This record gives sequence, C-alpha cells and structure tokens, in this order.
Amino acid sequence: MTQIDLRELWKTYPRRPAPALAGVSLMAESGQLLALLGPSGSGKSTLLKLIAGIERPDSGELCLDGASVLRLPAHRRGAVLMFQKAYLFPFLSVAENIAFGLKVQGAPRATISAEVARMLELVSLSDAARRRPAQLSGGEQQRVALARALVTRPRVLLLDEPFSSLDQAVRQGLQESVRRIQRELGITTLLVTHDKGEAMAMADRVALLDQGALLACDTPQRLFQRPPTRRAARLLGISTFLHGERAGCTLHTALGALAICPDGGADGPATYAIRPEQMRLRAEPGLNTLPAQLVGQSFRGEHSEYQLRVGEATLRVRAAQPPLESAQLYVELPPEQLFPVLDDEPPDDTKAPACEHP
Amino acid sequence: MRRWSLFLLRATLYLLLLGPLAAFGLYGLSTRWFYPQLLPSEWTFEPLMRQLGSPLIQAALARSLVIAGLVTSLALLIGLPAARTLGLRRFRGRSLVLLLMFLPTVVPPLATGMGLNILFLQLGLAGSVAGVVLVHLVPVLPYTVFALLGVFARYDEGYEQQARTLGASWPLVLLRVTLPLAGPGLAVAALFAFLVSWSQYVLTLLIGGGRVITLPILLFSAVAGGNPTTTAILALLFAAPPILAIALASRALSGGATVVGQQY
Repeated sequence: MTQIDLRELWKTYPRRPAPALAGVSLMAESGQLLALLGPSGSGKSTLLKLIAGIERPDSGELCLDGASVLRLPAHRRGAVLMFQKAYLFPFLSVAENIAFGLKVQGAPRATISAEVARMLELVSLSDAARRRPAQLSGGEQQRVALARALVTRPRVLLLDEPFSSLDQAVRQGLQESVRRIQRELGITTLLVTHDKGEAMAMADRVALLDQGALLACDTPQRLFQRPPTRRAARLLGISTFLHGERAGCTLHTALGALAICPDGGADGPATYAIRPEQMRLRAEPGLNTLPAQLVGQSFRGEHSEYQLRVGEATLRVRAAQPPLESAQLYVELPPEQLFPVLDDEPPDDTKAPACEHP
Repeated sequence: MRRWSLFLLRATLYLLLLGPLAAFGLYGLSTRWFYPQLLPSEWTFEPLMRQLGSPLIQAALARSLVIAGLVTSLALLIGLPAARTLGLRRFRGRSLVLLLMFLPTVVPPLATGMGLNILFLQLGLAGSVAGVVLVHLVPVLPYTVFALLGVFARYDEGYEQQARTLGASWPLVLLRVTLPLAGPGLAVAALFAFLVSWSQYVLTLLIGGGRVITLPILLFSAVAGGNPTTTAILALLFAAPPILAIALASRALSGGATVVGQQY
C-alpha cells in the first residue's frame, strides 16, 4: 500500500517550447486507481515516466509514502510501467518473461517458479507458459505483461494506455480483470488514458490534464456531471455554455431568461453549462425552453445527435428519441441540470454571447 | 528457363568459391604431379604436418587469431555504443560523424597507413601487437558500425525502459535485453570485424614493420618464394577460420532472423 504524492512537477523537453508538465500537483491515495485523462500531448504519459524514473523532472518533488524517490534510479523505485505495446521479450517464453523481474532482483529459483505459476493462474494463462510471445494474441500479450508487472509486487503500478490497441470485447475483459486484480492486491495504480469511458469505468478518482496542467481531480461521477471549469467541461464532451447575468434563481442571457437552481453563488456575470444528453427536445414551449430550428441530425446507435440553431448559436443535443419530423422545435434545459462553471477560456472572437458550439 | 539460369548461377558461384580451394588441396596434399597426369599420382600429409609443426607458422597462426580476436572485441565495444547513438538519436552533425566513420572504406589503406606509421613511430607503437590491433580498427570499425546500424535503425528502446522499471539495473538491461535483442546483428558485426582484421596485409606490414608476423605476411612471402606446396598449405590455413566462422554464423543467423522477423 503506497501513497503517491506529486508536488509542482515541471518538465520541458529539449527543442519543444511548451512544457510537457507545468507545475502539476497530484495525490493518489493508497490502494486507489487514479486515472489520468487527457488528449494526446497533455503530459499524462510524461507524468508516468517521471514516477517510473525513466525521465527526470526539471523541478518539483515526487514522494512515495512521504519519502522522496527522485534520487532513486528507475530499477529501485518499485514502480512498474505497462505500455500500450506489451514489450514482451521475444527471445523468452511466456513463463520466462513473467519471471524476468524476480530473476534480475535475484530471487531464489523455487520462489520464482511458484510466483510465476501463481501469476499465470491469476491472468488465466497457465497453459501458455511455454509458448513464445509471438504466438499469443494481443490481449493475451497484455495479460502476460500484466502478470510480469505484478509478479515483483510493485509499490505502484503505472498503466500507459495498455488497452488502447485492443479491440472492444478484449479491451473490456482486460479492463475488468485489471480492476479486479488491482483491488485484490491493493496496488496503488495510475492509469493513463484518453478514453473517457475507460477512465470513468475503472477509476476511483479521475485527474483531468490538458497542455501540461491539471484541470480537475475528482470522483468519476462528480467530474463527469459537474466539471468545475469550462476547459474541463469541454474535455468531457460538453459544448453548450450559457453566459449571462445571474440574479437569484434566474440567468439572464441574450436568448432569454432561464431558471437555475440556487447554489449559493453571488449575483453577477456567470457561465452555466449543460451536458448534451441532459437537454430534451419538445414540440411545444414549456419551462426553460428555447425556440430552436433543427439543422441536422445523425443516428449514432445508442442515441441520436441533433444540431439545433438557437438564435446565433448551434446546440448539440443527444437524445434517445426517434428522428424528428418538424423543423420548428423547442429545446428544454432542465434547471437542475444547469450548473455553473468557472470560465477559464479566453473569450473567442465571435461576439455571440449566449451559446456556442465547438 | 528460369530454373536453368538459377542453377547455372549457383554452379558458377560454387566453382568460383570451391575451385581455388580444391586447387590448394591438390597442391598441398600431393607429392608427384607432373604434366600429362590429370590428378596427382601420390598423396601425402607430410608437408601439411611439417608446416603445421613449424614453430614459425604456429606462432603466426596464434598471433593472427589473437590480433583478430582483440580487434573484434574492441570493435564491438566501440561500435555498439556508436551505432546505438547514431541509430536512435538525431543530433546536429550526425551525418558528418557518419561520413567520417565511413571515410576509411574509401581512402586507400596505404595512404592512411603511411600517415599512421609516422604517428605510431613517435608514440612507440610501431612494431608492436598493440599498434597492429589499433591500426586494424581503422578499416574494421566502419564495417562493424554499419552492421550494427541495421540493428538499431529498427530498435525499440521501450524494451529497455520496460526492463528497468521491472527492476533491472543498467548492466543487467544490457546483458539480458539489449544484447539478446541485438543478437543476430551483433554476430554479423563480429564476423565482419574478424574477417577484415584476419585478412589485413598492408596495414600489418606497415605498422608491424616486419616484427609482427601474421599469417598473411607469411603467405605473401611464400607466394613470393614460389613454392606451390607451401603456398597452398598456408592458403588453406588462412581460409579455414573464415569459412568455419561463416558456416557457424549462417546457422545462428537464419535462426535469429526469423525471431527478429516475427517481432518487428
């Protein structure tokens, strides 16, 4: 059981102007699975490399259980990385691959064979022990890589998008087994991913990273439903923002007044957001509805996406409703689904004040 | 038609390779071989045994092996990090380094040898085995680096990072990950290094100054002396280690190549 504590980590790569990490502070509690979610180039993989000891930070502090590990070389940190590619050694069999970590640490032969057998069982690959990595499927290779990572009983498990090259069914199975094993063994785990669903499904907490900065860190539910800032909200798939004057339980926007739930915020300028799947389409006006014109719709399987023109702006609404016929509609923004966000984006050039689209 | 031309090509290659060796065998292992006879009338191992028993030849053979062995080890020791850096990193002046590295393969060895002779005389290295080993590195290193560049052009450092986070210190990473991954390419590089050093004549003569007697030196003087039997036996001795090495390596290489092919 190990607690990870990152303080003000900075990292700049040579010949690249923008820092990969710009002062990230983050804490992962013992036994937790913390997901690092962000687009490519957000610095999430760099963070893992710093913890593993493959890269060194320019400045900042990195502690495991309160003790700095910055001076420890990679092989003595007890932090095992698992990459998108399995990196199984092609010249070793499956069992020898799993034994690698114990062997280089000089464990006795009897211990090694017992632990390898136990790990093979844990990832349900006992009958593949003598096979070569090239004879395994992608999913099996990642399971071997997981067993090889866990056999050394690492203090910290670092997963760098280990599922992203697998197809959907295999990925889901592996995600579930990683989560189960991680809980059983109680290993503090950092999971890097750019897949919202994966982060939400697997993590105890999700840290949102963008351009080397930490935007938010919270439980999956809270982060998904109530992202604190506009940038965070945008990364989580929200594209509808309403800017206006808040007065009591009303938000006065350029499109009209909208009812909002009291949240203790002061009156004055404010930005509210709403998730695309929380808006509803209606044929008649009602509470918190805005007149809208349907400009496009696309069927996406589980839901349909509708593009609506409201005043000057375009709204994207997700709904499980059947395709709509009429072009004149009303979009309902339920007050309990509108939430305030901190506007941390520079105002864009288009002067449309109320709504906007990405 | 195609099959025939392929057969012809193979037959020609075998003839070119094995013809001289067969001729050396005929000359070296016979006593009486006069004009209209197609093959020698009497066979004997006596001259071969006499030559093998000669302390001069034994010493030259041992010296050649020691020098080629030392040169091979040194070339790998220098070539491995050089090829790794040139293969994996992009830095300013990389192409200049590559050019300088391969210059010895185009500049005539006599030219470099003359210059180095003066330098080695001043350093006191002329006429010593150490000097000869050093001067052999000049033509050997480009081949070694070239063979190893092929390995590192498609090398993935992820394997090493993976091994480090699994608890392997860098010497262990080198021993258990880098070397096995580079295996087949390393064998080719070692073979090149050995062969190029083994067959050096001009540079050995220039720097060795007649005091470092290797097998090629003896062979050349035998050729000049005009005794076909001695020449043939020395030539066979000279050709044996390379042929043996290639035969052994080709088996290891064909096995290793499939592993690499599967992996990448």
